[in-house]
Amino acid sequence: MKLLIAALATLQLGVAQVKLPQYSRDTLPNGAVILMLPRTGVPLVHFRILIKGGTEAEPPQMAGLASVTSALLRKGTAKRTADQFSQELDFLGGTFDAGADNSSTTITAEFLGKDFDRGLDLLSDAVLNPAFPEQEAVKELARRVDAARSVKDNAQAAIGSYLRTAFYGKQHPYGNPPDETTLARIQRKDIVDFYGRIYRGRNLIVAVTGDFDPAQAKAKLAEVFGKSPAGTAYAWAAAPALTRKGRLTLVDKPDATQTYFQIAQPGIDRKNADRVKLDLVNTIFGGRFTSMLNDELRVNTGLTYGASSSVERSRLPGAITISTYAKTETTVQAIDLALAILKRLSDTGITAEQLASAKAYVKGLFPTSRLETMDQLGGVMGELELNGLTRDEIDGYFERIDAVTLADANAVAKKYYRSDGLTMVLVGPAGKIGGDVKKYDANPVVVPIKAPGWGQ
Amino acid sequence: MLAVGQGQNVQTATLQNGMKILVQEDHAIPSVAMYFFYRVGSRNEHPGITGISHFFEHMMFNGAKKYGPKQFDIQMEKAGGRNNAYTSEDVTVYTDWFPTSALELMMDMEADRIRDLAFDPKIIESERGVVYSERRTSVDNSNAGLLREQLSAAAYTAHPYQWPVVGWPSDIEAWSMDDLKAHFRMGYAPNNCVMVVVGDVSMAGVLALAKKYIEPIPRQAPPPPVRTLEPEQQGERRVVIKKAAQLPIVMAAYHVPESKHPDDAALSLFQALLTRGQSSRLYKRMVDQDQLALSVNASYGEALDPSLFTFSIQPRSGIDPARTEKVLYEELERLQNAPVAADELQKAKNQLLASHYRELKTIAGRANALGTYEVFYGDYSKLFSSDKELEAVTAADIQRIAKKYFGEKNRTVATLLPEGK
Repeated sequence: MKLLIAALATLQLGVAQVKLPQYSRDTLPNGAVILMLPRTGVPLVHFRILIKGGTEAEPPQMAGLASVTSALLRKGTAKRTADQFSQELDFLGGTFDAGADNSSTTITAEFLGKDFDRGLDLLSDAVLNPAFPEQEAVKELARRVDAARSVKDNAQAAIGSYLRTAFYGKQHPYGNPPDETTLARIQRKDIVDFYGRIYRGRNLIVAVTGDFDPAQAKAKLAEVFGKSPAGTAYAWAAAPALTRKGRLTLVDKPDATQTYFQIAQPGIDRKNADRVKLDLVNTIFGGRFTSMLNDELRVNTGLTYGASSSVERSRLPGAITISTYAKTETTVQAIDLALAILKRLSDTGITAEQLASAKAYVKGLFPTSRLETMDQLGGVMGELELNGLTRDEIDGYFERIDAVTLADANAVAKKYYRSDGLTMVLVGPAGKIGGDVKKYDANPVVVPIKAPGWGQ
Repeated sequence: MLAVGQGQNVQTATLQNGMKILVQEDHAIPSVAMYFFYRVGSRNEHPGITGISHFFEHMMFNGAKKYGPKQFDIQMEKAGGRNNAYTSEDVTVYTDWFPTSALELMMDMEADRIRDLAFDPKIIESERGVVYSERRTSVDNSNAGLLREQLSAAAYTAHPYQWPVVGWPSDIEAWSMDDLKAHFRMGYAPNNCVMVVVGDVSMAGVLALAKKYIEPIPRQAPPPPVRTLEPEQQGERRVVIKKAAQLPIVMAAYHVPESKHPDDAALSLFQALLTRGQSSRLYKRMVDQDQLALSVNASYGEALDPSLFTFSIQPRSGIDPARTEKVLYEELERLQNAPVAADELQKAKNQLLASHYRELKTIAGRANALGTYEVFYGDYSKLFSSDKELEAVTAADIQRIAKKYFGEKNRTVATLLPEGK
């Protein structure tokens, strides 16, 4: 495999932009918002339900509560046992996935179009009538405690949680990834309380896309989701401002033969006016194969299989993060190189040619990354609604890309890609690299990987 | 039934040099997925050059005659496109996604690199480092990757599927310029390749460009046939790895036939019955009821030669891995001893059918599926009759294959045990 860079997708110079198809938006008396986009072609119907809140709505000492609650929706309802639910879902060849991110719980389900009614019945039973049987809650929580441990066998998967703690700090709603201790505190009553507070009409967004009859569906969706109590609209959490901490955390994994590292600094929130400029600048810096980071760390030097950077887009301001890895012996060489490239971006900026290439790239891959499938379209519709954005976010995207000048891009590069106050997290053998990395922080925080949790 | 919507409107052609072309027009979005399936993979290697097919997948992006080092990616991204590639035991596949307007550029660049690939010693050394880094990530620092590698090495005694696609470390360090040139000549003939183009194109347009850029590349002798057959296994084999880990891992592999074998559909259903969805037998028993495992999966994929059907179990903390193994065998015996209920079999069929539809939702998914069926099943159109293959499988078939393939003598078990608590 060559490399998977999480990048924005897109279209082409001179070609008209693909737009978001027209879809309907209705608000039910209980506050629930219903979005519908019918389209034939593939005989599938896709449901996407968002519930405002997400992990930021959890009490910090019970991190994991939102995702545990979502996982238990299907584990017993007013009408079905967990087993009956699974049997029915699998018999339809359907999918059902539930999870939580910073700002919402997301439940997606997909069925053959002909099974619209049965699919809706299953899905709504889980979302609106969960019973949360005690024994299912106990099982799910115990399983998650083990999963939080086992993820540490995969440094690449674990490093993100260490970075969240180090970058945001535990006082921040995004700074508390679930761990063995927080999961162990959760009781059934906490789950029931969380559900009763969050899963309410005023917090509910339902997007339906694909092969269905819109007239019939509209009435059915209104009837089904109209039953959710209106409740109180979720009040978004406040957060301390992000600071430039300038701190290094070394997670000691004695058996590792390479070091994973991430370097983070404050970035933007979902609605920041610089967001399109950052799409372009980050594409050039670390968002594609020929990016500055990957070109230097992989192609020119062979130090790593891949190097990239990402820009978080949450409701609250998030991180801009460099991610890569190198073998133990060249860890410091790779970190130095990554820092040098960061400085080069800030000091010398990008060229007109790089900017033109990034514009074509972001546009060229846009249709297949956002607008090709029913689940992608449902994802876009739900995300716009959740964040209070309009369809112009999609439909006017190319125009905004075209408007970015070289001076704009370089100003953004200087503003966000800085070399001071970085949060660095390394997962590797401390016995071998612990001395050398003190040049980045004379007093690094050292955490044994076996220690519960994700550092401090 | 699978032909509904984006269906069977696949057009085909064969260039004079033997390259087969499959085209499916779809103008829903102004984008194209173009896949090249080369019939060369780690099964075409031998000890000393293991991993060289995969290394080639990397070298194909490092410059040719017209488009020099880095140019393939630079030009493609500038034209709004993106690429990747993957190598397996059987094939090396190059995957291009781009806006319609980049079609000619892509044909030109794809032709350039199979006609005139450059072999720059400096770039080869640098790319060796990249591949070693990939190995370090996917195998050396991944408990599951490490265990899977040892499992295959033990399950096969003769057939080339025994070595890892990424290659043994000593071979990654040692292959020479001559090895590379010889392997390139062997694998990258136009007649050893299937091109699949799905998206906003026309058959006439694709064919005209293919004739201009690719047809002039001469045909060559295809790779020599892989003669070695794996002898029948005559007793259980066991491997143990002890290393630092939070939790153990158990894998159990059984020899099964190649994709073209008539038991293919039944084996896919067997996998679904045991591990697909939370109502599957192993999930229900191991993960849910008995709480012995965090996860249980079964892998059974396309293969040109007889391959492995592999179960992977992540036991819970404090659970003896042997207990999870015992439950696995009990569930296999249940399928040997009693026919599966009609409802349960129908459920597995419905699951696989719906999952077929999902694979075909994107132009990329369809390009991959068409190429995979053409290479592994001998004809892309079998993609559109796979529903009938599934429908034909009976409960008696499931019981028969349970007995035929899933016995103790045919299995290899690999266990990773945490050490140094």
